[in-house]
Amino acid sequence: MELTTFRKALDDWLDENKSELAPEHEGAGTLDDQMAHLAKVKRLGYEAGWMRWGWPERVGGLGGSPILRAYLGEALMIRDVVDPNAYSMTEVLAPTMVDFAPRELASVMVPRLLRGDEIWCQGFSEPGTGSNLASLACRATRTDDGWRVTGQKVWTSYAQYAKRCVLLTRTGSQESAHRGITALFVDMDSTGITIRPLRTMHGSDEFCEVFYDDVAVPFERTLGEVDHGWTVAMELLPYERSTALWHRCAYLQRRLERLLAAVPPDALGAAEVGEATQLLFALRARSRITQRRIAEGQQLGPETSIDKVLVATAEQAVMDLAARGLGSELLIGDDAVSQRWRAEYLYSRAATIYGGTAEIQRNIVARRLLDLGDDR
Amino acid sequence: MDAAELELFEQSMRQATERHTGEALDAAVADLGWPDALAEDPHAAVSTLFPWQGVANTTSSALDQVVATGLGLDPATADAVLLPRLGTVAAPAHATGDGTSIRGLGTAALRRADRAVIVATSESDGTCTVGTVAQSDLQLQPVGGMDPDFGLVEVTGDRVDVRALTDAPGSTWHSAVVLAQLAVSYEILGAARTMLALARDHALDRIQYGRPISSFQAVRHRLADALVAIEAAEAAVDATRDVPTPQLAVIAKSLAGRGALDVARHSQQVLAGIGFTAEHPFHRYFRRVLLLDQLFGSAHSLTSVLGAELLRSRQLPQLLPLA
Repeated sequence: MELTTFRKALDDWLDENKSELAPEHEGAGTLDDQMAHLAKVKRLGYEAGWMRWGWPERVGGLGGSPILRAYLGEALMIRDVVDPNAYSMTEVLAPTMVDFAPRELASVMVPRLLRGDEIWCQGFSEPGTGSNLASLACRATRTDDGWRVTGQKVWTSYAQYAKRCVLLTRTGSQESAHRGITALFVDMDSTGITIRPLRTMHGSDEFCEVFYDDVAVPFERTLGEVDHGWTVAMELLPYERSTALWHRCAYLQRRLERLLAAVPPDALGAAEVGEATQLLFALRARSRITQRRIAEGQQLGPETSIDKVLVATAEQAVMDLAARGLGSELLIGDDAVSQRWRAEYLYSRAATIYGGTAEIQRNIVARRLLDLGDDR
Repeated sequence: MDAAELELFEQSMRQATERHTGEALDAAVADLGWPDALAEDPHAAVSTLFPWQGVANTTSSALDQVVATGLGLDPATADAVLLPRLGTVAAPAHATGDGTSIRGLGTAALRRADRAVIVATSESDGTCTVGTVAQSDLQLQPVGGMDPDFGLVEVTGDRVDVRALTDAPGSTWHSAVVLAQLAVSYEILGAARTMLALARDHALDRIQYGRPISSFQAVRHRLADALVAIEAAEAAVDATRDVPTPQLAVIAKSLAGRGALDVARHSQQVLAGIGFTAEHPFHRYFRRVLLLDQLFGSAHSLTSVLGAELLRSRQLPQLLPLA
């Protein structure tokens, strides 16, 4: 299907089903509200076909360019149907399954994710492993009837709702660094998994600590080659900086639009409004080039770190503007709308931290794009 | 031109800007058919010449031809076009009951031309007139200033006799401004790329504490930020091809100007002592960027104007379509 046809038909469908797709909760809602609503939107979208376009037929998709997925997410964001955080996880997890899972596993599992039957999570970070992902220690040991996994993960988004996890484990020696990592697809209801949601400063228990105590994982659940999990992780990260990033950009535009509509006269200066808007346009222009490259089947790589720097910069600029423009609501408002602005403002502080810090992105730009050589 | 032809054409533009400057560069790009390309596809033509002129720090009167094209004129017949004063996008002349008064700038082409194209806005109804004036009726003051190599002249004239070319609606000047902002943005980004390249080469060569300074994270992050600023602005400038609105041109020019000044700051810091000498080429690019930022509206002034419009309309500018 062509994008223009898709866009028209999808826009019509979204307009026709506006009331059914609208969140029932006011403001951001609780995490339970958000997850229930997301499942409903994905199911409706899947049944109508929208959630299937842009995915290969062998995983329940209808084929077509991934650019259709970029537009679907954008259309949902600009209509306030869903928020990007949980929705866009699909853009990271499903391509990983398409590229690395055994074919039959992918064909059974991916439709469940697209249809909203299941939430999945991604187990990367550990207490001792933040920026230096290759130092991870959560160990998978080979036994006669499968892997046994023991270790701890942290910052696992939506683990308490998740049925499955794409988990990075240590299978080589600790010194093997990025050469001894294996990616596994783990059922989250397995014996030995304990999940503890983290209380964060923005007040939503999105992130969790997850403890794995001698958890059995069948060999058929190995993603990619044993000891080559680093490849899985490195190919997953550009996805996080492409389609998912386009969705986030659309969400930020929507929030800036809302801010412009709500801001009291004279609360903001012209220059700061102009500059935040320009940063958002730069992000959109840059990400648009990336979307076209995906559509042409190009391999994404370190250049997406520029997109990631731009999205973090734009998000903080928009939310800084919200904090200045809606100062009183954001600081002392206890209604649902004010609470949402407050949570979003606080969440934006993490934009330069999650998914590879601002410093890591600059390291990548320096080494890979500017070819500045070794940093020691 | 298809993509391959365009690339070849751009290669020839690049070589011309490296080998020639001033009148010789005008002649070289004319020989290569640049004015025809400009008439055929303005955005493509601008994007093949101006970045390289910025990279090479050379000059030409191509900007005159760009403004002429934006005004709907044949660039080959317009020898020189008057430009707005620094920091503004207002037409360089206005018509009063008393005749036309001119406060603007010209490139080196104006010094050689007999007549120059001028756009005058009417004080009474805001309409604009496109016409020509005799160069001998104008006072030309060659500009030294920050970037003497650029060859600007300050132009004044009072009660000047304008020979009208067409009666054009106000939007004509706006489309000339959009195209000119695009050209200047490309030139700014070319200059920024050279500043970054100079700083990068220096960082790799310069040894302190027994290692190249490019191995220090503080240096690497400055250079990374410089590249991010260039790539972000370039994406916006390229996008004006698909959405050639005045608002997007303003956004692109602001990103280019502000980005290039950031690049200058980071590059100068990395270049340190050598970059402060007159023998090192850095300062030529810095001077050029300072000047170009002010031509057809500075990042600072355009950003405030844009923000004021957004606060008034309470709506975002038209968004770039996905494809």
